[in-house]
Amino acid sequence: MAKRRKKRRLKASLRRRYEAELIRLLGELSLPLLLLHAALTVGTLGYMALGGDFLNSFYMTVITIGTIGFGEVLPQFSTPQARIFTSFLALAGIGIFTSSVTMIVRVFLQEDLIAVWRQIRMFDAISELREHYVVAGYNRTALELFRILKRRGIPLVIVDGRRELDRELRAHGIPYYVLEDPIQRTALEAAGIKRARGLIANLKEDAKNISQVAVTRLLRPEESFEVFAFASSPDAADRMEALGATRAFLPNRMLAGRLAAFILHPESAYVGQLLDRIAFGEETEVDLLEIVVDEHHPWAGKTIEEINRSFLGSVIAIRTADGRLVTELRFDRRVQPGEALILFGPVRSLRKLKEEYGVGQS
Amino acid sequence: MSVNLKKLLTDFFILMALTTNISFIVSPNMVELVIVVAMNLAATILKIGESRMLSAEQMAASLAADLHLVPALFFFALGDAPEGVGLAWGALAANVVSVILAIVDVVLATQTELEEY
Repeated sequence: MAKRRKKRRLKASLRRRYEAELIRLLGELSLPLLLLHAALTVGTLGYMALGGDFLNSFYMTVITIGTIGFGEVLPQFSTPQARIFTSFLALAGIGIFTSSVTMIVRVFLQEDLIAVWRQIRMFDAISELREHYVVAGYNRTALELFRILKRRGIPLVIVDGRRELDRELRAHGIPYYVLEDPIQRTALEAAGIKRARGLIANLKEDAKNISQVAVTRLLRPEESFEVFAFASSPDAADRMEALGATRAFLPNRMLAGRLAAFILHPESAYVGQLLDRIAFGEETEVDLLEIVVDEHHPWAGKTIEEINRSFLGSVIAIRTADGRLVTELRFDRRVQPGEALILFGPVRSLRKLKEEYGVGQS
Repeated sequence: MSVNLKKLLTDFFILMALTTNISFIVSPNMVELVIVVAMNLAATILKIGESRMLSAEQMAASLAADLHLVPALFFFALGDAPEGVGLAWGALAANVVSVILAIVDVVLATQTELEEY
């Protein structure tokens, strides 16, 4: 029995929970509608009992409780009994009418209903995404990452437990987010973790990032799924990598390194910045790509000249099987199996090569 | 409104919708028809926000009945009594389905509760 219950609990997706929430919020409509309905029914039946036909009785009720009050539409409604009835109907009905309308409008205008509706639609949009990245935890870094990846057409889904972020995320034009605790399996599933290319653990504390890495690896154990994490100390970074993070970054060290590059290479500012921009994905026109050539690769045994002619761009270096970087390349040099080519060229051309031959392993 | 009271009211109106529908078909007159429409609309309104297992199906059946009865009301009021009664027969079918669905829902809910304990 316990096994069965567990199964059912796992099945309850976040989308279904939000749907239930939406239905609950819409349920607030039933009381005002019921009151309005009761007032209309009592009025119509009352006037019919006083001798009116259905249409005129219904019309009389509507103009009475709707505070229109054109007067009696039939001679039967001007009798003393009918006027007493109209008076009571107006006294009770007008209150019911105005408060019901207010309650109905309030249900539709309240922020919760709109936010829940928006989130449900977002879940549907996220379910269409493939090869995207999930970012656990929103901050300025996540925002910058969103902007950089957007230029490259890589979608990002932000998962953060703070519901109050809704307005801010929308203001920054972030199209996909799940406002639930990223440690929850349901939140990650709603963010499309099963179809994503990777996850970035971007939470404030090391402990949280460590558990995020662990939870993510339980859902996506395969090595091709990338898990990046931020750590505040080398020790924490080691622990994250031991738990399965593809790479754990030390933000302070990264910043210092980038700053040092500017200090150490002042004379080649343009090239330094270009490589920097390529590395950080800010350069949208050109890119670098590494392709490993094994013995079955069509490029194995070919010369640099032949390879250069086969795509837009050029081979700028070769990493040999023993890890040396060769930059002095003669055009007639033949590529040996096991070597990796480093290519430089337009993004579109390199992307085509990447789809054709796959990525290099470093 | 406690959950049980709402359930009681909903089930009451579902049943009333069916019984008044039958009474209108047996003796067609305007007052009966207004009562049938009132009962059906009340049953529909009470189903808004219900999170039962078959709530979508129940809502659909209820709306089908309403969409038969509201036109029936106008046909009947404008003098086309046979058309009004005809539409009420259609609504009766929907109301029977509604009651069956309500019963199935109760059975399903009871079974789920039994499984959980």
